[in-house]
Amino acid sequence: MECFSLLRSDVPALIDYLGDFGEVIAPHGKGDVSYSFEVVRDSSDVVLDYTRTLLPLKKMFLPPVEKLMGFSLKNGSYEQEDVIVAPRVFFGVHSYEMQSILRLDHSMLSGSAESNYFKRRQSSRFVGISFEPDEFHFSESVGVVIEEMEGFDLFLNEVDGDFQLYVLTDSGQGMLNGFDKINLTEPEVVEGRHFKKKIRYHYNRLPRVFQYAYHSDVWADVASRCVGCGACTLTCPTCFCFDVQDEVEVTAEDGMRQRSWDSCMLSTFAEVAGGENFREKTINRTRHRLYRKFKYITDEEGLPWCVGCGRCTAFCPAGISLPDIVNELIQEDEKAQYHRTVRV
Amino acid sequence: MKPQVAFFDFTSCEGCQLNKLNFENDLLDILKHIDIVEFREAMDDKADHYDIAFIEGSITSPSCVERIHDIRRRSDILVALGSCAVNGGVNAMKNLHPIDEVRETVYGDDKYLFATLPAMAVSSVVKVDYEVRGCPMTQQDFLKLLIALVLGKQPPTYGSPVCVECKLKENECLYNRGMVCLGPITRGGCDAVCPSFGQFCTGCRGILDNPNIDGMLEVMTSHGISLDEAKKRMLLYNSNEVQL
Repeated sequence: MECFSLLRSDVPALIDYLGDFGEVIAPHGKGDVSYSFEVVRDSSDVVLDYTRTLLPLKKMFLPPVEKLMGFSLKNGSYEQEDVIVAPRVFFGVHSYEMQSILRLDHSMLSGSAESNYFKRRQSSRFVGISFEPDEFHFSESVGVVIEEMEGFDLFLNEVDGDFQLYVLTDSGQGMLNGFDKINLTEPEVVEGRHFKKKIRYHYNRLPRVFQYAYHSDVWADVASRCVGCGACTLTCPTCFCFDVQDEVEVTAEDGMRQRSWDSCMLSTFAEVAGGENFREKTINRTRHRLYRKFKYITDEEGLPWCVGCGRCTAFCPAGISLPDIVNELIQEDEKAQYHRTVRV
Repeated sequence: MKPQVAFFDFTSCEGCQLNKLNFENDLLDILKHIDIVEFREAMDDKADHYDIAFIEGSITSPSCVERIHDIRRRSDILVALGSCAVNGGVNAMKNLHPIDEVRETVYGDDKYLFATLPAMAVSSVVKVDYEVRGCPMTQQDFLKLLIALVLGKQPPTYGSPVCVECKLKENECLYNRGMVCLGPITRGGCDAVCPSFGQFCTGCRGILDNPNIDGMLEVMTSHGISLDEAKKRMLLYNSNEVQL
């Protein structure tokens, strides 16, 4: 693994250079205080120090709303929508975001692969960047450190304002060929970047905590504050549920089938024919969300299905914090264990 | 034969019907599917029977009650159009005050000449088959319903909050911009049109089923408005739906 030094002022030149290898997509400012991944038009618009984007990078592989096919009622025919994606370079991606894409890969591609996702996921390359954790990031607690480089082709680690550029794959090496603003250097370990938010237990102890947390009082407390808007799941980088609907144009002849992101936090999510709803109450839904992140998939895959980006907490209008819920469950679990011990 | 369609107005601003005439690009396509047989704002003709009757406005007087029963008897399908018809809308704010006080304020000494009732949703008086929500209802929403009815399909219903559409469009949350928005508990389907243009949601499409009202008041007050103001905002379009 080679490591080069790169001046902060030369980063736009690097982004321009990467443009030869495909469309570059990078974080940009959005609104008053937010960020989003957008196609780079001018490399000087790219934001290098951002907290988190509104929507995760997932939106580039599993679009929020996507046309699946068009149909004609008149001819009784349909035509599947072709997904053609040119090579893309994702620049300025945080480690937790990359981890979320790797988890999505598992969700979408194991078993029978989801073909649209697969086509978009092919020929994409990733350039990572380090970040300064804010009050919401807690990825270290779910096993993703700031400098986690798995999945990246290149990685920019900020050192004293400038960057060290790690070359991680042949593909990454290939993208740098001929780029002359970098110098070979010794990798440095950066001290002093700390996560302010933490889950108290190592993540491999969480499935056991969740094993006994199903009837916890914590869920009712969360449900009393939750207004059910779905922001947590709709901004989650590892959530992948979608809804499929058909729409007919005003001519009543042609129409299309499209899918859009859905959310298990919405009361309609588990509504079935006959008006039954198998997760009718908010308390059922808040619990289900966390079990999807720390128990159900984790039991099978051995990894938490949460990457600690902090979006669900940062974008919750009610200020409900996922790591706080987990810590409350841990505290309750400890209390229960204490009583068990005393009795023995 | 094409379905015979009629439009009627009750207590309302008539904006929901009027914007049918603004369809422009789609108007000719629409008229391929339906015959409009009664529409006071656009024509003089009358009919005895309607396949689909669209009702705008809330029911606010004994004569309204009589008329809506008459329309219902002569209609196969009856659709409530817009916030006033669906749940009483802004008109229902009067229900928060004693009815005599309201009459006195509006008609003064002549109040005995005008019989009045609390502002009611059309569905409080007669059976409503379908509804198009919003103040005003959006053209898109109306067209989706109309096409579904023409094709004999179930029209779409919306059970998700406005926040969902906002998130799918990657809008910055208005709470992050210092505004207080009713999006989390308001029925979506509007494509989050207001928040997308920087205007907080005022709840015109009605409150979701089983809302967490206390939680929502907490969210609103914790973002800088008084409890009184929070309640007023919630009641603006939903006096008939929310008990505070």
